[in-house]
Amino acid sequence: MAKKTTVQPALHKVIMVGSGGVGKSALTLQFMYDEFVEDYEPTKADSYRKKILLDGEEVQIDILDTAGQEDYAAIRDNYFRSGEGFLCIFSITEDESFQATQEFREQILRVKNDDQIPFLLVGNKCDLEEKRKVTLQEAQDRANKWGVPYVETSAKTREHVDKVFYDLMREIRARKKEENKTSNGRGKDKNKKKKLKCIIL
Amino acid sequence: MDIPKEPNFSLLSSQDFAPEKYVRDISQNYVGGLELQNIKKKIQALADETSNNLKKNVYQNYVQFIETAKEISHLESEMYQLSHLLSEQKGLLTALSTSSILEDNRAHFDVRNEKLDEQELEEENKQKLATILDKVENCKEVVEAPDRFLLFEGDLLEIDATENTAIKFVHVYLFNDSLMLTNRNSNSRGLMRYAFESLYELSSLAVVNVRDLGNIKHAFKLLIFPDTRVFQCSSNASKKEWLDKIDQAKKTRLVQEQQKRESSLEKISPARSISVDLSINSQPEEIFTHPDWFLDIPDELDVCIAQRQFEDAVNHINKSKTYINKHPEHVGAIQKKIDQKQNTLVEMLMKELEVNPEKSLQGGLRATRTAVRLLNQLGRSTQSCDLFLKLCSSMLKIQCKRVKREGSTSTYVRHLSSVVFTNMCHMSEEFLRAFPDSCANCASAYVVWASGELSLFTTHFAKQVFMPQTSLSTITECVVLVRSQCERLCTYGVDFRYQLDGALRAPLSKALNDARDKFVDSIKLRAIDEKWIPVNLNTRSGLARCLQEYAVLGLKLDTYVTGDVWLQLTSSNLAFTKSFLILLDDCLKLKTTELLHSIDETLTKCFEAQLRYNEQGLKNEDQKQFILKNFEFLLVVLVQLTQTKYKEATGYECDNLNKLVNDYLSLLKARSTKTKYSSEFL
Repeated sequence: MAKKTTVQPALHKVIMVGSGGVGKSALTLQFMYDEFVEDYEPTKADSYRKKILLDGEEVQIDILDTAGQEDYAAIRDNYFRSGEGFLCIFSITEDESFQATQEFREQILRVKNDDQIPFLLVGNKCDLEEKRKVTLQEAQDRANKWGVPYVETSAKTREHVDKVFYDLMREIRARKKEENKTSNGRGKDKNKKKKLKCIIL
Repeated sequence: MDIPKEPNFSLLSSQDFAPEKYVRDISQNYVGGLELQNIKKKIQALADETSNNLKKNVYQNYVQFIETAKEISHLESEMYQLSHLLSEQKGLLTALSTSSILEDNRAHFDVRNEKLDEQELEEENKQKLATILDKVENCKEVVEAPDRFLLFEGDLLEIDATENTAIKFVHVYLFNDSLMLTNRNSNSRGLMRYAFESLYELSSLAVVNVRDLGNIKHAFKLLIFPDTRVFQCSSNASKKEWLDKIDQAKKTRLVQEQQKRESSLEKISPARSISVDLSINSQPEEIFTHPDWFLDIPDELDVCIAQRQFEDAVNHINKSKTYINKHPEHVGAIQKKIDQKQNTLVEMLMKELEVNPEKSLQGGLRATRTAVRLLNQLGRSTQSCDLFLKLCSSMLKIQCKRVKREGSTSTYVRHLSSVVFTNMCHMSEEFLRAFPDSCANCASAYVVWASGELSLFTTHFAKQVFMPQTSLSTITECVVLVRSQCERLCTYGVDFRYQLDGALRAPLSKALNDARDKFVDSIKLRAIDEKWIPVNLNTRSGLARCLQEYAVLGLKLDTYVTGDVWLQLTSSNLAFTKSFLILLDDCLKLKTTELLHSIDETLTKCFEAQLRYNEQGLKNEDQKQFILKNFEFLLVVLVQLTQTKYKEATGYECDNLNKLVNDYLSLLKARSTKTKYSSEFL
C-alpha cells in the first residue's frame, strides 16, 4: 500500500539565490502560502515542497531558499548542485545586490557546468519604484547578455510571483523533456561530462 | 724417552703439561750444572715475559674499565639533562596549549576560570569519545582523530528524499568538525549498538531546514553532493536543536579556520564573526597582498618553538622582518604577533642560558653556543652576554669546589689556579667565539666579569696562602705559579697581571716583613750558641757534600777549606749564607716594581743583622783573625753574588745593600788602623 502512494508527480528543484535581504524568503513564502512576511530574519537554508498544477499537469516543486550568507564556498556549491533551475534575485532598490548577481551566475555556471541551465534574473521589490537604484534597462541588458529572461516582482503585492516560479518550472520541464528526447546517448554524454568535472574538482 | 724440549709458551701452557715430570726429564737429560742453569735462565726469562704480559693486560683492561666508567657517568648526566629537557618541554607544551585555546594572550588572565571550565569540558569530551568507541563499530579512526570532540548526538529517522517515506533509524553524532552517521546494529545486541555508516566534513555539508514537505514534519536535509539525505526529528524542538547545534559547530569551525588562515584578522570579535560573510567579501584584497608564508609565520614560529627548532624560528623571524621592511603597509597585526612570538622565543633561549641548580652543566659552554648565537641574531646580545657570563661564573664556582684541599698548599694552589685559569681561558675562547665582533658593551662586560672572577680567586688565594705558618718559599712558589697562569689570559687580549700583583701586594709585603722578622730571630738564636770556631764537617764526603751544596747556590767555598774536614767559616755564617741566598731567590722571584722597596729593606735588614752580630764577635780578641775572614766572606763574596743575582733580576744593584756594605767596610777600615791584621784583606 505504501508503494502505491510513492508514485509521485514529477519533481522540479528550484533554488533561490541572491544577496542577503533581497527577498528570497519573502518570494518563497508568498508563492507557498500567499502571505507576506514583513519582519526580516536571515535564512540559513530552508526547503519547501508543494504540489501544483503546471499547464494542467500535476508536478511537485521543491524550493531551496538559500542563505544569502553562507560561510563555506564548498557548502554553497552543494546547494547549487542540488538545483535544476535558479531564480537569481536582487533588489531593485540596492545596486550592490544587482552587482552580486554576476558572481552568483558565475558560480552556478561553474558548479552546474552548463550554460543552458534554467535561470531567471529577478528584480524584486518593484513596488518600491521611488527607491529604485537599478534601472530596468540595466537589468534587461544583463539578462540579455546572459541569455535569460528578466522579470520584476514584488513579494509584497504578489506581482509576477507565480510567474517567475511557473516560468522557471516550464523551462526545467522543457529541459528535462529535451534531455529525454535526445535519448540515452545524450544522457550518457552528460553523465560523462559530470564525471569528468568531478575528477577535475 | 722423550727428549725434553726447550721451554716455550706452547709447551708450558699445554693442557697435559706436568711440571714435575718436565723437571725430572730435564734433570735426566741435561748433564752438568751449566746446562741446567741455562735452562733455568730460559725458564726465568719466560716467567718474566709472562708476568710482563699479564701486567700489560691488566693495565689495558684497567684503562678500558676507567674509560667505560667515564662513559657511563657521561651517559648518566646526559640522561639527566634529557629528563630536564623533557620536563621543560612539557611545561612549554602546556603553556602553548593554554595560549592556543584562547588565541589571545591578553585575555589570558581574565578568563582563567573559563579556561578551567574548558579544560574540564575537554576532559568530559574525551570520555564521551571513549563511550562512542564502545558503542559504535568501525569508528576507531573517526574517534581517534586529533582535536575532534563530540558536540551533540541523537536518534533520527531517515526519510527518502523523493518519495517521502521512512527508510531507517540512524544515530547521529555531531563533532566539532564533522557529522557521523551510524546505523542500528542488528547483529549484535551487546555493547556495539551502532555500526559506522559515513562521516561528513562540516565544511562541505549543506544543511537545509525543511519547512514544508507534505505530511513530513520536523525534518531537515543534508546536501552532500551528489546525495541529498532527509532526516526527521521527533519534535520541532529537537529539529531546532539539531539545526542550531550544526550551525554553531560550523560557525565555530569557520572562525577557527579563519583565524588560522588569516592571523591578521585576529581581532574579529565574536559578534562580528557571526556575520562573517561581509568580512570575507571585503577583506581579501587587503589580506592577500601578503604571501601565504608570511601569514603562516606566527604559527610556524609556534611550531618551531615547541619543537625546540630555535634556529628555524630565528630564520623565520628574520625572513619576516625583511618582508616587513619591504612592505610596511598592513602588517601591523602580524608584526605584533611575530614580535610576541619573538619575545617568547627570546624568553625560551634565555631560559636555556639561565643558571639553574637542576640543570646539569655537562655540556659545558659548548651547549650554550646555539642559544647565544641565536640571541645575538635577535639583537639581544647584551642579555645573552650577561647570561653567558653568569653561567661561566657558576661553572667556575662548581669547578673550584671540586678541587679538594689536600696535600701541600702549593699542590692545592697549583691545582686550583690551573683549574681557574684554564677555565677562564676556555671561557674567553668561547666568549670570543660567541661574540666575535661584539659591541663594546659585551667586551667590557666580559672584562668586568673576568676581573671580578680574578678578585674572587685572589681573595680565596690569599686566605689559603698567606698564613703565618706558611714559609716565604711556599708563598713564592704559589705566587709565581699564579702569575704564570695569569699570563695565559694574555693570549686572549686580557692582561690581569697588574691586577693580580696589585691584589697580592699588601699581603706580600706583609709576608716579606714576617719573613724578615723570622730571619732576624733565627740569626739571634744562632748567635746564642756561637763559639766562633770553624765548621767541622766530620768527614771528607761531608765536606764535599757541603761544598757541592753551596756551589749549587753559586758560591765557591774551596778557598775556605783547611785540612780534610774543616771549613774556615762559622756555622752561623754558613747557615746564614744558605738561608739568605734562598731568601734572595724568593724575593727576586716575587719582584715587582711596587714590591722592590720591601724586598730591598728585607734583604738589607737581614744582612745587617748578621753583620752586626759578627761585629759583636770581634770583641773576642782570640778569634779576631778568623772572624775577620768571615766578615770578608760576607762583605765581599756573598755581597758580590747577591748583587749579581739582584742585577740579573732588576737590572741594577741594590743601593741599600751597597751602602750598608760600604758602611761596614769603612768601619772595619777604621778598626784595621788599630789592629795589625785588618790590612791583610782590606
